[in-house]
Amino acid sequence: MSEGFVFSVFLVAWLSAAARLSIPLLLAALGETFAERSGVLNIGIEGTMLLGAITSYLVTLWSGSPWIGLVAAMFVGLLANVFLAWMYVHVRANQVVVGIIFNILALGITSYSYRLGMGDVAGPQKAEMFEPIAIPVLSSIPVLGPILFHHSILFYLTIALVAVASFVLYRTRFGLQLRAAGENPRAASAAGISIVQMRYCGVLISGAAAATAGAYLVLVQIGLFRETIVAGQGFIALAVVIFGRWDPWKAALAAFVFGAADALQLSLQLYQIGLPPQLLLSIPYIVTIIAMSGMLGKTHQPEALMTSWRRE
Amino acid sequence: MKILILERRLVPSDSALAIAVTTALSVLAALLIGGLLMIPFGANPFQAYYQLFEAGFATWRGFGFTLVKAAPLIMVGLATICAWRTGFAYLGFEGCLLIGAAAATWTAMQALPGGFLEDVPFFAFLPVVLMVSMCAGAIWSGIVGLLKSRFGGNEVITSLMMNYIAVFVVQYLVSGPLRAPGDLPQSPRLPQETWLPYLFDGSRAHLGIVIALIASFVVWVLLLKSRIGYELIVTGLNPKAARYGGINVGSRQLLAAFLAGGLAAVAGMVDILGIHHRLVDGLAEGTGFIGIVVALLGGLNPLGCVLAALLYAGLSVGADAMQRQAGLPASVIFIVQSLIILFVLASDLMRYYRVRSRATVVMNTKVESR
Amino acid sequence: MATDTQPASAAYSMRKIVKQFPGVLANDRVDFEVHSGEIHALLGENGAGKSTLMQILYGQYGRDSGEILVDGQPCRIDGTRDAIRLGIGMIHQEFMLVRRFTVVENVIMGMAESSRPVIDLHGAAARLRALSKEYGLQADPYDVIENLPIGVQQRVEILKLLYRNARLLILDEPTAVLTPQETASLFVVLRQLVSMGHSVVIVTHKLHEILEISDRVTIMRDGRVVGSVETKNSSKDELARLMVGRDVRLRAEKSPRAPGRPTLRLEEIRVKDARGFDALNGIDLTVHEGEILGIAGVDGNGQSELAGAIMNLMPITGGRVVFNGEDVTKASPVLHHQKGLAYVPADRRHVGALTDLPIHRNAVLGRHLEFVSPAGMMDESRIESFSKTLIERFGIRPNSPAYMAGKLSGGNLQKLILGREVMRDPRAIVIEQPTRGLDVGAIEVVWREIIAQRDAGKAILLISAELEEIFNLSDRIAVIYNGQIMGVVETADASMEEIGLMMAGEKRIAGGEGQ
Repeated sequence: MSEGFVFSVFLVAWLSAAARLSIPLLLAALGETFAERSGVLNIGIEGTMLLGAITSYLVTLWSGSPWIGLVAAMFVGLLANVFLAWMYVHVRANQVVVGIIFNILALGITSYSYRLGMGDVAGPQKAEMFEPIAIPVLSSIPVLGPILFHHSILFYLTIALVAVASFVLYRTRFGLQLRAAGENPRAASAAGISIVQMRYCGVLISGAAAATAGAYLVLVQIGLFRETIVAGQGFIALAVVIFGRWDPWKAALAAFVFGAADALQLSLQLYQIGLPPQLLLSIPYIVTIIAMSGMLGKTHQPEALMTSWRRE
Repeated sequence: MKILILERRLVPSDSALAIAVTTALSVLAALLIGGLLMIPFGANPFQAYYQLFEAGFATWRGFGFTLVKAAPLIMVGLATICAWRTGFAYLGFEGCLLIGAAAATWTAMQALPGGFLEDVPFFAFLPVVLMVSMCAGAIWSGIVGLLKSRFGGNEVITSLMMNYIAVFVVQYLVSGPLRAPGDLPQSPRLPQETWLPYLFDGSRAHLGIVIALIASFVVWVLLLKSRIGYELIVTGLNPKAARYGGINVGSRQLLAAFLAGGLAAVAGMVDILGIHHRLVDGLAEGTGFIGIVVALLGGLNPLGCVLAALLYAGLSVGADAMQRQAGLPASVIFIVQSLIILFVLASDLMRYYRVRSRATVVMNTKVESR
Repeated sequence: MATDTQPASAAYSMRKIVKQFPGVLANDRVDFEVHSGEIHALLGENGAGKSTLMQILYGQYGRDSGEILVDGQPCRIDGTRDAIRLGIGMIHQEFMLVRRFTVVENVIMGMAESSRPVIDLHGAAARLRALSKEYGLQADPYDVIENLPIGVQQRVEILKLLYRNARLLILDEPTAVLTPQETASLFVVLRQLVSMGHSVVIVTHKLHEILEISDRVTIMRDGRVVGSVETKNSSKDELARLMVGRDVRLRAEKSPRAPGRPTLRLEEIRVKDARGFDALNGIDLTVHEGEILGIAGVDGNGQSELAGAIMNLMPITGGRVVFNGEDVTKASPVLHHQKGLAYVPADRRHVGALTDLPIHRNAVLGRHLEFVSPAGMMDESRIESFSKTLIERFGIRPNSPAYMAGKLSGGNLQKLILGREVMRDPRAIVIEQPTRGLDVGAIEVVWREIIAQRDAGKAILLISAELEEIFNLSDRIAVIYNGQIMGVVETADASMEEIGLMMAGEKRIAGGEGQ
């Protein structure tokens, strides 16, 4: 076998894993982009992802259909984030504190639900998953084919969602109002926009998206549930939002970079490079730190991000 | 018959009574929800709660367990207080705890035959291991602090990421450099000379709680009584006024970062030398976050932190007991623990209202000027 | 000037408007009328009530009593939506623009113009261009606001109002942020607007502009209308007199005193504001021992930059601050304290004090190192006794050192801050807006203390927007306008009129400052 062949096999394996792994980050980041654009930093997406994961697992096991599991997960994500939105917007509690505590709560609820749902059943049960679909013709293209066109339906839907998100954010009245609420709530309010409504919408969107991301982890990647299934990907999604400059398409690019970092450590492990596996596992997190450290220059976040708003 | 109505104030009441009432109501509401969650498992909530509180507080042995669990919570709570009150929004206590545990393990391993701490008596060993742990933790948190002050980075996300890296550091250590001979990813069992001594017969309470209480006192004195504490607090409250008052804001913020890491690291040291006596993977179990909750519930005050830690530790002990005896998942109690603090935060909203009887309102409308 | 070919009719009328805020009657049975096709100036000092009146007209505040009529019909205005519907539009001093959005996005933001969810930027941009052309307001619809100069941003605000079919445009201190050239362009626009039948109200304190652009001017003082004249029939002197003349309510006991050596000297101080324009344009001032030099001027003419420059809380782009012969231009707060230069900032709640801490912790702010024991602990007993001394000497109520500073009334908080600085026995004190928001009793106490310090030989620089305060306390008065000192006069020789003219940029006294 030629070296070029080995390399291209490596490349294909790495990049198609990268594409797959980037989806949950992208989904959560898309939703969080809406929340942060409206002025709210929703750290609770980590916990919401967990809730989405457990819901999709239990419901899919019970119903046999991953679609029903997916919808149930989105519903739970919305419900949980109604509470979060209330805490952020009406109670005006510190957004970081509420998010962190919510993540602890979500872990408790997840653990409880798992016990309640699985009860005495012995051994891990595999849930129905979304199987990869090979797009005819396109998936036969060498190199690019397997990387981009041989994924589950959720992958394709997510990419479509990026386009939808971009359209909604920049080309609709709703998007304009949402962005105004996050840039200058005083001016927006003076123009007749309801800051409360916009921020609730932003948080709910981030909740539904994060829950879907959690469902993806179960229904596309593993088919099982473990409490460590999210392991900080919600937090990494926060970095994706910032790295992606609060823009859906750039977030897709950023998510791919993070996914590639994650996939790299998987591939490198396979190839038995002499580095401790834990170092490779740390790569996504280290990349995030570098991205967030401020060493890469100042970022232009929505001006009113993390500020609470009170009608004068 | 008096008609009670809810009237909105302009500013939330901050009388001690109002705060006590809303806190108590929050705890009760959380317990109520916890009770409801117990029912699907076939348990009687009242019985379960009785067992729970009995396990953690009613027996000497049980209270000993509570003290054991409370010690690391207090340390993380103190770290939170030092960081947050100075304006350092640090969330990486879990990571510092692990780093502290690793550092303590390494130090204790030097007391094994052949190490440079062999045959050193405990009272000399303790200060050494404290120093090493605290330094390790301070460096870990100092990285985030430096990034913030040098580059203006967002310490919220960076500190969260450091938590995961710390987990990998520990995993690496127990599979490699600190690994005991054999196949299991764990360090060798630490020699008895390094164990934190038990305090009383009949309970597992060890020196860790004493260390935690002393630390609380020290933090109390430092923060509320010393000049440095004054400067730290002023910097956290109002950096503009701090500068106007001649305080070096940058150096105080860095100090806060070191304190946060050092204190949280001691939590890890206490767990290693008090309970586990070896370094393993999966050590942290969320203490780094429950400690934050404890600090918040205690009003970011060292005394409140100790009391809240005792409460949460007792609940945790009770949760374990409940799980063993009644088969109820411990997660019910974790839910209760997070609901308590969420309700307390939300109860701020409650204090915007006062309950009045209709007659009083009519009378006062003429008298009150607004 | 308006060209009216129709009889002037009262398009918008306010009758007997009353508005009470806690502690102050902002509008006291005010009558105000705007005719269509006229530019009507609303003149008055800070606190005269003119901004409040206009905010009531725009629906941002509710009125306590009185009525508003549009074309003779009484109307309800419960919010800005109602006002907008009635054709009223307002441009505030602080622009309500989203800096990251384009012009067209800002203009259509919040409008429920169509039920379609997709915004038609092209259509809106086209309509905007048409309006631009019609009114001579050049602005490219796709420019981003933060890249535009202030003058153009203001044009966008005007376009926003015109897009919503405003008939009456209210501009609050529109030229405060403009260069002379931009002001000239604005006036061209305003003339164009009224020639097309719109009405304009401009709220201002600048006399020459009023005379240049307005048809009528209404003068307000202390919440009341004191005059309403045709501009062409009036003069600067009359307007100035109407603006500042008042019955003096408070009087301070002050005996004449010969000032001593020069203590604090400002040489050619230049400061740039956040936008890069000159906030201070070469300030020369000298304060002597045992004198109070009052800086009079309408808020926004450079006063806060002046205090910031002296205390090195703001970057100076030129000039020196000399204190007792030493250059302290770049000195740190610690050095200021050491040298004896004290400062009472304008913002008592957010800069001068720590509202979440008790009185005793505030009493030692800036000098806490003096109250530290050798072990590094705060010496509580000394702090307590010091606080008690301070409380007693300045009459702070409640008199417990453990009382939360944030709960103190404005007057008591000011006494705490002033007292803290005074107890340091400084050589000079820079005091900014000491009695803003205080009631008469508190004002008298604060004044007495300031005069006592002057009698004790301190050099005091008093910056205040309250003319009454300036006249009562100062030995000499310097007037600041547009970042420059218009003149310095002995209080005994000064007349209200002359000061008013200087405050409005009308008069300059040769020689400025120097001695």
